[in-house]
Amino acid sequence: MIHTAPIEGSQAGLSGFARHSGAVGVRNNLVILNLTGLSEMAARRASAAVPRSVLVSFPYGMGLVGEDLAAATRLLSGIAMHPNAGAVVLVSADRTRLEEISAKLEREGRAFEGICIDDVAHDSGALSARIVRAGARLAQAASTLHRTPFSLGDLCFAVECGLSDPTSGIAANRLIGEFSDRVISAGGTVIMGETLEWLGVEKVLADRAASPEVASAILTAVARREAMAQRAGVDLLGVNPNRRNIEEGLTTIEEKASGAIAKSGNAEIQGMLAHGEAPAGPGLWLMDQPSYSPESLTGFASAGAQIALFSTGSGNSYASALMPTIKITANAQTAKRLDTQVDFDCSELMAGGDIDKVTDRLLTHVAAVASGMLTFGEIMGEGSEAFSRFGATL
Amino acid sequence: MTHLALRLDPQDDVAVVLAATPAGGSVQADDGAVVVTARATIPIHHKIALRDLAEGEALRRGGIVIGQTTASIIKGDHVHTHNLRSLRAQPNSRSMK
Repeated sequence: MIHTAPIEGSQAGLSGFARHSGAVGVRNNLVILNLTGLSEMAARRASAAVPRSVLVSFPYGMGLVGEDLAAATRLLSGIAMHPNAGAVVLVSADRTRLEEISAKLEREGRAFEGICIDDVAHDSGALSARIVRAGARLAQAASTLHRTPFSLGDLCFAVECGLSDPTSGIAANRLIGEFSDRVISAGGTVIMGETLEWLGVEKVLADRAASPEVASAILTAVARREAMAQRAGVDLLGVNPNRRNIEEGLTTIEEKASGAIAKSGNAEIQGMLAHGEAPAGPGLWLMDQPSYSPESLTGFASAGAQIALFSTGSGNSYASALMPTIKITANAQTAKRLDTQVDFDCSELMAGGDIDKVTDRLLTHVAAVASGMLTFGEIMGEGSEAFSRFGATL
Repeated sequence: MTHLALRLDPQDDVAVVLAATPAGGSVQADDGAVVVTARATIPIHHKIALRDLAEGEALRRGGIVIGQTTASIIKGDHVHTHNLRSLRAQPNSRSMK
């Protein structure tokens, strides 16, 4: 079938790739997932040799303990099973790690090949060649899968902000919040993370929790990171809002944080997820995780979010490799200046535009992206994934 | 000339002005329901009071309490660090940790 008209989400409906797990993929990527630092360069060369393959590389090896080990297991499994992957080549210098992840993919009936550096007698050039050949075979098989209709309620969205300015909190994040409310009323899922951004409004979030346990988890998560910062000699309350924020009109930490959490809309909070943990059901979830965007987005990708909505004030080029990352700004200058970075311009909200109408337009845009329209981050190759570390390596 | 401001929630005590507003300028909330006269110059994206507030009152923006007034505020005043402080980031709340 030849498509001669542009993809219009609102007219054609959403279409995606149904995976055996029941999740829907909005992309059908060949993912080369490198599991160990030792095999990274071989995986990198192979990815460069297979156009349109998506490389995700875990740069650490043995010696992970405690929170790091738990997070590595969770993140690598989550990313291997990501619904936007049509096929996966696993690459590893550690057979145990390779077998663990392979077993999970096998159980899910996913298309994959696993290659260990032992298989090629530690010859890195041979490893690259094996990855390329496996990738080519898998990519061809994946290309026979086709999109089928699905609904907004089948999707999980990650909400993020980076390089914010005054337009973010009062316009772009509010728009994402309205969108989030609509996704949740359609039976879908939304995850908001970046724990430290809740500092100052954690009680407001706790009041929206579905249970006292969830409320307590929210307060504990913020208090734990605040204490972590204090131990490192960082006075978060003393430096927030910062001097630029104050010049731009933000008076208190509560006001600054209220702009960040506007992305979560008004829905009840179903639960608190560990970094990279998949939600157990639909609705709004919080993820306790680092606030730096690359690490934060990888946590959401590992949780299975198919699309990220990412607001920015002055511009932010970073995107997830696995989730199409829709860049949204309410700053008219930024939208104009970065017209091949910003996917969605909502600057009319800064001139009194009607938020319901802009939300309708965002829904249409998201439906088009979900159905195959590329984001600028995908076109420009800005996508990556970043793995957090929590402690020392043995 | 009327200057537009965003009132993020109908219960809010303040609105955010969308353009620099001179003292004496007329400010209208985006929902059209509230018109106030600025009593001071309000820089772009700063807050203007939509009602009178006593010293020590909780102040709402976006449906959330963002702090406590440290002086009495008159409708049309510029609201910022000179008359509003955080309830969260007070010196004694920090030493409680």
